[in-house]
Amino acid sequence: MNLSLILTTGLLALQPTAEPEIQRPSGSTAAPAEDPAPAEDAAPQEAAPAEDAAPQEASPAEDVVAPAEAPAELAPAPAEPEPVAAEPVPLATPARDGERYVVSAGAGGPPFYDEADTAALRARHGIDVEPLERTEGPRWRCLIADPACGRSFEVNALAAYTYRGRQGRVDGMGEDPRWSSGRAQYDFWMNLPVMTEIAGDKLFSRMTLGPKGGLIFSDGGSTWGNLGMAFRYWMGRGRWAPTIEFSSALTFKIGERELKDVGEPKWKMTRGPLGFTADVGIGLGGFGAIVLGGQYDSPLAREEIPDEYRTSAGGAFFIGFRGNILWGGPAAAAVATHAITQRSVDTP
Amino acid sequence: MSASVSVLVLSSLLAAAPSDAAAADPDLVDVSEADEEPDEYGPFFEDEAPSDLEYLGRARPGRLPVLSLGEGAFCFVEGTYCKASMILSADIGAGIRAPASDEGPDVPYAQFTFRGGVVIRPSMIRPRKRKAWGSWGIGVVSSWSKGTGAVSFGTDGDLDDAKSTDDTTVFRVGAINQMWLSKRNHAAHLDFTLGGARSDVLTSGVTLWGTHAEVGMGFGGWGGLFLSGDFLDRDTRVVLGFRGHGIAAGPIVAMALAGLAAGGAL
Repeated sequence: MNLSLILTTGLLALQPTAEPEIQRPSGSTAAPAEDPAPAEDAAPQEAAPAEDAAPQEASPAEDVVAPAEAPAELAPAPAEPEPVAAEPVPLATPARDGERYVVSAGAGGPPFYDEADTAALRARHGIDVEPLERTEGPRWRCLIADPACGRSFEVNALAAYTYRGRQGRVDGMGEDPRWSSGRAQYDFWMNLPVMTEIAGDKLFSRMTLGPKGGLIFSDGGSTWGNLGMAFRYWMGRGRWAPTIEFSSALTFKIGERELKDVGEPKWKMTRGPLGFTADVGIGLGGFGAIVLGGQYDSPLAREEIPDEYRTSAGGAFFIGFRGNILWGGPAAAAVATHAITQRSVDTP
Repeated sequence: MSASVSVLVLSSLLAAAPSDAAAADPDLVDVSEADEEPDEYGPFFEDEAPSDLEYLGRARPGRLPVLSLGEGAFCFVEGTYCKASMILSADIGAGIRAPASDEGPDVPYAQFTFRGGVVIRPSMIRPRKRKAWGSWGIGVVSSWSKGTGAVSFGTDGDLDDAKSTDDTTVFRVGAINQMWLSKRNHAAHLDFTLGGARSDVLTSGVTLWGTHAEVGMGFGGWGGLFLSGDFLDRDTRVVLGFRGHGIAAGPIVAMALAGLAAGGAL
């Protein structure tokens, strides 16, 4: 008996018994998977119930090896509950109009709602049945405007036909000329999303608004600076989604070609008070937009300003195309418009 | 007696069994990871709240700043996680030129400017802090402007004897202080610049030094708005302007010059 006890003890000790398993709230499977010999764990796992059961049925004074002698006897019989067949229970609650409740007939488990119920739920909350998922990202790291971008920056070029005018002076000097011309405008836009929409786990810009600034050119070397705000509303989530654009800015004269010095009509710095410009456009994605707008130049006519430094009020209406310069075409069109305007338009 | 021996043998063998369960426990954290914990707290130092939503065009986490060297050690475009950055921008602005009351009338003033400089973020220069961030930046900037000319009264304030200049050239140098307001991409930051300005004074033909001060708000390094002033002897200019990084302003300047040249205006 003693010999058998020693042998049994030795065999048990040689088993690769690990420390008692720590019970954790979540049943992680990572630890067993890392076990190098899962087949060898079969014996300890089978013996484990016997060891666990020993303190319950054997007295504390008994030998600790006692459970190993009769593992089968002490092993608790599995007491699994008999599966109860789910019987259909008819509901007496009457269904209201427009709602369907379908109770499972007991044929299986979940889902207990069918496609019609899901469709009704989607319709009730206005969820698209097949949402337009977009997977492709924006181009050029958002240097081309895209609804899939958050904050973004772009350089736009405008080429437009312009109808310009200048107001005469109240003292009767000068005329009230109006003439056709061209307009080239280069602007740097900073688009900050102010309204977004969610599709799945993705954000899309619905409306952007941010500061912008740049240069405006027309005939006679007329050059204005402008700084203001640019607004864009996206009517979709794709790269080529239609857009509505609106921008407005303060404008100020920077320079023009000196018309008085006929012999040397070079571009020079010219002062002018603040005016403003505004335009509205219908666009296609981050490519460009057809733009309609106007500009007003305030007069510089204060009493303490000598006559030779006074300027008259002026303005313009324009219609043209504005696009991102990364496409190439809008930039080329603007430069060409600028050059042609300088050479072919005689400024009154 | 024999039972006691077997108990002793069993106990010793069990005690000698190797146990590496603690080493493999994934719940245990290496103490060295505590080095990554921030040591400062507050709205400017907390990470952005995690969100399940993101733009398709959002920069991937861990992506290096745009046009940067050494994992943000130096950036050619200012970024949220740049330890040092180059400043290179162009701007246009307009405002008023206000001489002393007996020198001439207030006239509109406009200018275009090219600016360069370097900014560092001292609190981010901590080698063991891989994701360190600091809101403060300091650096040196210098700029050159061409502005519209001045109008001054003649002797005894006579308008008939008024004089004027065609343009005004300004050179500035100053110290810039930045305060970055968040950790997001293209984060907004406030810029305060104080320095000196050297420029023509009215129509005197004399070039003097004066004071230059500017407060601006930028979005990353791409651009922003600013309010700037040059204060010289009896000649003050205050300008509101818009600024863009050289990457954006360069093509605009190139297209403008191309159009002027092709049109024969230069």
